[in-house]
Amino acid sequence: MRRQLLAALAALTIVVTACGGSATSSPSQAAPSAAASAASASASAAAPASAAASASPAGFDANAISGPVVLSGWQSSPAEGNALTQALLSFQATYPNVKVDYQPVAGDYPTVMAPKFASHDVPDLFYVNADYAQEWIAGGFLAPLDDYIAKSAFDTSQFFPGYASIFKGADGKTYGFPKDGNTIAMAYNTALVTSAPKTLDALVTLAQSLKGKSGLKAPICLNPGLDRGLAFLYAQGGSLLTADGKASAIDTAPSKAAIQWYMDLFKSGLGMTASDMGAGWCGDALGKKSAAIIFEGGWLDPSMTSTYPDVKYAWAQLPTGSSGSPVTISFTVSYSIGADSKNKDQAWVLLQYLTGKDGMTKWTQGGVALPARKDVPTPAGKDVLAASSAFAKPGSGFMVGWPAVQKAFQDAFTAQIQGKTFNADPVITATKAAIDKALAGG
Amino acid sequence: MTSPARPIRADTPVAIAPVGDRSWAWRRRLAYTLLIAYAILMFVPFAWSIITSFKTLPDSVRLTILPDPFTLQGWDFAITKLTPPLPVLFFNSALIAGVVTVTNLVLGSLAGYAFARLRFPGREVLFLIVLATLMIPDQLRLVPVYLIFNGIGLTKGVGQYLGVILVVAISGTSIFLIRQYFLTIPRELEEAARIDGAGFFTTFLRVMLPLAGPALGAVAILTFQGTWNGFFWPLILLQDQGHYTLPIGLLFFRTAGGFATIYPPLMATVVMATLPIVVLYVFFQRYFVEGIAATGVKG
Amino acid sequence: MTAASLARRPRAPNKGRAEALAGYLFIAVPMALFLVLNVGSIVYALFISVWKWNLRSGPVEFTGLRNYGTALSDPIFQTAIRNTLYYAVVWVPLTMALGLFLAVIVNQKIHGQTFFRAAFYFPAIASSAAITTLWIFIMAPDGIFNQVRGMVGLNPLFSLLGFTANQNWIGDQGTAMNTIILLNAWTTSGTFMLFYLASLQSISHEVYEAAAIDGAGAWQTFRRITFPLLKPGHYFVATVAVIGALQLFDQALIGGGVDGAPNNALMTMVLYLYNAAFKQFNFSYAAAIGIILFVVIFTATLVQRRLFGQAPAW
Repeated sequence: MRRQLLAALAALTIVVTACGGSATSSPSQAAPSAAASAASASASAAAPASAAASASPAGFDANAISGPVVLSGWQSSPAEGNALTQALLSFQATYPNVKVDYQPVAGDYPTVMAPKFASHDVPDLFYVNADYAQEWIAGGFLAPLDDYIAKSAFDTSQFFPGYASIFKGADGKTYGFPKDGNTIAMAYNTALVTSAPKTLDALVTLAQSLKGKSGLKAPICLNPGLDRGLAFLYAQGGSLLTADGKASAIDTAPSKAAIQWYMDLFKSGLGMTASDMGAGWCGDALGKKSAAIIFEGGWLDPSMTSTYPDVKYAWAQLPTGSSGSPVTISFTVSYSIGADSKNKDQAWVLLQYLTGKDGMTKWTQGGVALPARKDVPTPAGKDVLAASSAFAKPGSGFMVGWPAVQKAFQDAFTAQIQGKTFNADPVITATKAAIDKALAGG
Repeated sequence: MTSPARPIRADTPVAIAPVGDRSWAWRRRLAYTLLIAYAILMFVPFAWSIITSFKTLPDSVRLTILPDPFTLQGWDFAITKLTPPLPVLFFNSALIAGVVTVTNLVLGSLAGYAFARLRFPGREVLFLIVLATLMIPDQLRLVPVYLIFNGIGLTKGVGQYLGVILVVAISGTSIFLIRQYFLTIPRELEEAARIDGAGFFTTFLRVMLPLAGPALGAVAILTFQGTWNGFFWPLILLQDQGHYTLPIGLLFFRTAGGFATIYPPLMATVVMATLPIVVLYVFFQRYFVEGIAATGVKG
Repeated sequence: MTAASLARRPRAPNKGRAEALAGYLFIAVPMALFLVLNVGSIVYALFISVWKWNLRSGPVEFTGLRNYGTALSDPIFQTAIRNTLYYAVVWVPLTMALGLFLAVIVNQKIHGQTFFRAAFYFPAIASSAAITTLWIFIMAPDGIFNQVRGMVGLNPLFSLLGFTANQNWIGDQGTAMNTIILLNAWTTSGTFMLFYLASLQSISHEVYEAAAIDGAGAWQTFRRITFPLLKPGHYFVATVAVIGALQLFDQALIGGGVDGAPNNALMTMVLYLYNAAFKQFNFSYAAAIGIILFVVIFTATLVQRRLFGQAPAW
């Protein structure tokens, strides 16, 4: 599972207010909004009813909107809370009339959100992980944004298409915009690894030389699931789906070989799961010096800084495999508005800011994630990960029924490595069955 | 079933070898050693959680009894950085368990008295229904109770407290336990009061209730413990983290990936979740033991 | 109430009516709650279970018994049933035996009887969440259990059984459920001890005295007298144990998450239900699982009643 979650660490409800004349803000923004508010108040109030009439660019004046907006999402680290706070402070300075009430969610995010959908009591704006975006769209939990996009002439051309496309429904409508992105790259302990391997063959050679060294439980920490395995599947020339995305390709020869190769890392003891190392996740394993090499994304950095500041590590691109060209997978999360959100206009004001150039710049400078837009500069220390964006393929949510496919793969894969049989065939059979079922509509 | 107030006697000299057997002395010593060892083993895990809560993260996986160095970092983390913080979890647990204990005592003694003493048509059938509620698994009720509460606004805001209290506000066990106790009290006592002109409620309040101390004590302890430790309903009905109880906080603290193995604050939370019940147990051990024996239903 | 006080004869009609009214008033609140939250719930659950139910908008399409069919044919639900039955078959006898053993011990004339009874019950007082979190910590690959067994030289024995020095007890599909069984046997044996103790107290002295005169040894006495005379106790403990076992949930969720990881090793029937409701957002499917679970528990109780004969008087 991708390390969404965890929550924690922020105050339980931070109401971010404008904080008076905060230094970085531009107070001039407030004046026109006040002047314009009287003029367009009636227009915005009538907006939902008169979508066609207000399709002109002037149909939605963000500065004229006022009122509260409840924002929810998970939090992976204090750094994430800080980064968001910075972005929200800057939002408040730009739109002082929209008051953000930030309520982070703890724990298993979908499980916590389910009852909110059921009780029609959803936050106005919230994160949606790519993993289950299609399920939430199909369930009717999210509001389509097309009217807002048209009315406020929101420029969508700057989003990386690989990220943005995930939040389009089967009906062709847009149900969210990526708040950021993340790619999977290799992080290694620099005390043990002096130069990063460029190819998967070199990775194996390096791992063999590290085996049994300096208290390592295994040289590499690996997840027994597609959340990382997919990157290696692609690197070794395999694929999950055919090029048109309409059929399964997991049982092709390259795919089989790739999965067997991944499994053999566990067989040879070069790789081990975080759980078997007594760690919560692979970042934890790197911090505890149980593993020297891990494959994670930008969320690793704040976590290492806060929990394991003494462990020095560096980033390198995912080594290339038999496919010959560099490849990895990426993850994304959207900001979406709920079908039952009470303050949709205010939520859209916040959404277009946070996924816009300024908001995303503020947010990504916090060091947790990469921009999902071309016009936002790469944050410090994220060069490797950002460069990987160029060749990354979507790592989740690119098909309906993705959670079931993931579970099928992970269960079967775990059975093989824990049963010490290390045979890729049952994994392929189980995953193919899940893919076929998902493609047939569940 | 035995009545709650009944003391447990020591008897049945089953496994005792004839007195005077020469081998008996060392066998007895061995037996006591084993018993004491096993008894100590019961406390070891809890002691370990207390020790670990005062350790540093690297020290927490070492097999050493004294923290080296001794630190309050784990507690500080749990109290100030956990979401929601430990004091909030503690408050929620105490509030919910406290209110539920009171409602069970009030509603349980009234109903227990009615089922034991008052004659009204349908009494036996209604009492059977009370007992039958003990047969219905909570899981069967998950979806309907959730949707019902959702419909009347008990899944948001302060309503969540109300929902999680309402669902366990009165248990069949409480009614059963108190009824059984009232049945053992001689009728003459309340008939004397009745002749003096007291109404049913006055008789209940002035005559019967003061006699029901042991049963009420057992119900109070069992209810408090059961609610304090409650997992299923708080998990379903408490949706905002500000309303979480200690067990739910622990679950999210643990399943929240990055903290699963950050042991010192995790163990600090375990200690706080356990300590109040341990204190109650030390002081009211009798009620625990006799209450459990009498109801046969673990909280 | 004044009418009642005026009536001298205990069965005067007025007094009867007042008494009935008082009775109904006294039980009104509990009965209302039971009516809605128990009786009403079952009816509502039955209703929900025959629909395709959208989390947000409620009933979408009448599907009859389709949810039940889907459940019974889902391999993960079958795994959940298998796991739950395995747990019941291993945990129930193990914990009953342990509880009975402890009960017989603290029922002896021993010094510190109260202390031992209190100590043996002690693990049962903590919350499942706390004790499971603690247990997972102890049984972690680098936890104290693995360290202690290495220190006292038990590792050759463990490796003979196929366990490495850093066995991941809760995270390995082969040992996850047994680790939970061990935990719950430990915590619940104290409760069962108290149940058995109550039952042991009801066996009269005379029986043992007669046995002593016949020269029966300790084991003989236990096997021939105590054990059979405990039949009502066995029935009661077994019923409670089986119902509890079929509802295994807390430890599975805390240990293996919503998916019962690893590889569904900790997927139980109730966890499957919870997963259906709160991970897959499929409320009607979860309601159907709840009904199935109820039927299973009810059947299990009836079967036990058969096995142990008539239920005791209470």
